[in-house]
Amino acid sequence: MRLFRLLRSVPITYRVPAIVALLMVVTSAVISERVLDRLSRTQEAFLDSLSETYLDGLEAAVLPAVLREDVWEIFDALERSLSSNSALAPIETVITGLDGRVLAASDPHTIATFSELPSQYLDRYGQGAVMINQTNRTGVAKRDLGYQGQHIGAIHATFDVSQLFAERQELLVALLVTNGVLALALSLGGFLLVQRMIAPMRVLENHMRAAAHGASEPIPPHDIPPGDGEVAGLFRGYNTLVHAERERYNLATRLADEEKMASLGRLASGMAHEINNPLGGLFNALDTLKKHGETPGVRDTSVSLIERGLAGIRDVVEAALATYRPERSRRPMTADDLDDVRLLMKPELRRRRQRLDWNVSCSPRELPVAGGPVRQAALNLLLNASAATPEGGTISLKAENSQALLTIEVGDEGSGIQPEIADILIGADPEPAVLAGRGLGLWMVRRLTDELGGTATIQAKPAGGTVVILALPLERSAQAHAA
Amino acid sequence: MKSRREPSRREGLSRRAFIAGSIASAALTMPSRSRAGDRPFGFGLTPVFLTNDLELLAYLRSFLSARLDCPVELVSRRTYQEITALLVSGQIESAWICGFPYVQYRAVLDLVATPVWQGKPLYQSYLIVAADRVAGDWGALRGDIHAFSDPDSNSGFLVTRTLLAKNRLMPAAFFSRSFFTYGHRNVIRAVASGLAQSGSVDGYVYEVMRETDPELVNQTRIVRRSEWLGFPPIASPKSLAADPRIGALQQALLSMNESPDGQKALQLLRLDGFTPTDPSLFDTIAAEVEVVRQFG
Repeated sequence: MRLFRLLRSVPITYRVPAIVALLMVVTSAVISERVLDRLSRTQEAFLDSLSETYLDGLEAAVLPAVLREDVWEIFDALERSLSSNSALAPIETVITGLDGRVLAASDPHTIATFSELPSQYLDRYGQGAVMINQTNRTGVAKRDLGYQGQHIGAIHATFDVSQLFAERQELLVALLVTNGVLALALSLGGFLLVQRMIAPMRVLENHMRAAAHGASEPIPPHDIPPGDGEVAGLFRGYNTLVHAERERYNLATRLADEEKMASLGRLASGMAHEINNPLGGLFNALDTLKKHGETPGVRDTSVSLIERGLAGIRDVVEAALATYRPERSRRPMTADDLDDVRLLMKPELRRRRQRLDWNVSCSPRELPVAGGPVRQAALNLLLNASAATPEGGTISLKAENSQALLTIEVGDEGSGIQPEIADILIGADPEPAVLAGRGLGLWMVRRLTDELGGTATIQAKPAGGTVVILALPLERSAQAHAA
Repeated sequence: MKSRREPSRREGLSRRAFIAGSIASAALTMPSRSRAGDRPFGFGLTPVFLTNDLELLAYLRSFLSARLDCPVELVSRRTYQEITALLVSGQIESAWICGFPYVQYRAVLDLVATPVWQGKPLYQSYLIVAADRVAGDWGALRGDIHAFSDPDSNSGFLVTRTLLAKNRLMPAAFFSRSFFTYGHRNVIRAVASGLAQSGSVDGYVYEVMRETDPELVNQTRIVRRSEWLGFPPIASPKSLAADPRIGALQQALLSMNESPDGQKALQLLRLDGFTPTDPSLFDTIAAEVEVVRQFG
């Protein structure tokens, strides 16, 4: 199991050659064992046959001499048989007579004529024709000599079988070398083949990695292998995916822009209303000035009215400018940004006769987070909350910050947020709902939150309604800003 | 059991009596072979000779056929006894036999010619042992397994038998075991291989093999050389004395040097040639036979 896990952890480029090599080793081990076993049996059968032939010939040659105990004739026959048996390589042959004594040995210096046969010759034989001694690499065989049914002696032969072992050794070495070379060649081939096979996958992997970091690019046509239909199909599929993604993104961006313009239109009409409201008073004040301007009390009051009316108009215009001027959106956030949001929300709140529960306890100093996106996000959330809350209801905004985090909570009294709309804020993929043309305001919040490296969560209020909480990191925003 | 058989004079005599009887019966029952050309001229070769050297036999056959003007059949047998029996019984016309059988059957055999080796029609018998063995004289061979050449060989048996008889010893008592190899070359092989610890061998064969097969001979050394004895002669049955082919054979042998085939044969045999010899050349062997006979 561990080996299996270990194998799985090895890259496929090395895993396949390793498995090929492993299979080759196992295969060659099995084949070698079978071949050597077969060779061994063939050799032993061959040796048995040769020894039988040798003993047959020798028996025929020495039998009359053994009957006569003719030492010289026996020895002469032994010498001739040794010189004529180069295939069998007899090392030593001993002929014993009726009494078991040696009549002649091929090497009389070792075993003297008429001596007792050494005891080890008596118990060295087994069942087979030739008993092989692996230690000293010899084979021994015995043939009883009989004449007219009577035992008259025996032949004790010893053969050199080192050639058999040498042949086995040679074969084993040849098998090992051949299989080793084959395993190496196949492993190398496997390595190169897998390298070649997964090379297009690497291209795809690199593109996908880049896409994960936001830079999805289609695979250039020259990187698409012309002959490999599967890989080309995969690459084209990926390119189609990239193009579709781009189209989706463009569409969503366009929709968001349209939504932005729509909300801008609403804001603009609200602003016009906000500007228009004091205009009546201003004109009244102007009439009053024209008619009763010489009266100090009236003049001062009218001027004061005009001044406050114009100040209100200026505030509204400044808030709108601050929100929709991109060049101002990168500056650090201040409490004024949220005040602007509150100001911009006023017309909508008035229109829907809603109340805004405002609870901002942020640091009065600049916070290290881009002010523009925060304003935009807060404004969108409030507009959404306002839309979700029935007329005459209450929406809320609560903002606070710690050293590392700015938290903005926007509450409504709506009937709850639909899951697919909630996914725009908190889901992994906001695309489906956006493509359906819903929740564009929330999608903008999502984009802004993502830009700021923050997270959004949605909670249901116990008394009904929903709270959207944005948690925006300050340090990261600061670093991003510094960068 | 020849290896255990004690070669004895009695046995030799009984065999001689048997062969003499055979000759007598053959002489009585067989019509005398008269005309040359009825059958090939049988020429026997005893194993006293070096080996069955086919090249030598070819030259010898070619030479004799040419000089006798008739086909010659060279007859070889394993033992001296077989050749002697063929010769004495008249089944072959002539044979190269050992001095010992000649002495035994000289009553019925004529000498045709005797080889000359190193200038003389003489040779010796050697007692040999393994080259690395320490043995001062023949007495050190007591208790050996001894290899004899042939029971009818002078140099390969009789000389040693006589030596022991002169010292009041029997081979079976002096040697622990003995066996016959039926060839002088085989005696040398037996001693060199360790099959026998000592051997009785023809000095002429030993010396020639020292040239032709030094590797084998150098594994042995000579412990004792006998006195000079009559070289194994070419003999023929007295019954064929009138056969002109016997005379032609004698002439051929005596003039062997004059023929190319004869020269080649002599060269292979390391012999100088052949000489007519008197039967008295073999008196020393006869004396040995008598010593053995007297000792029993």
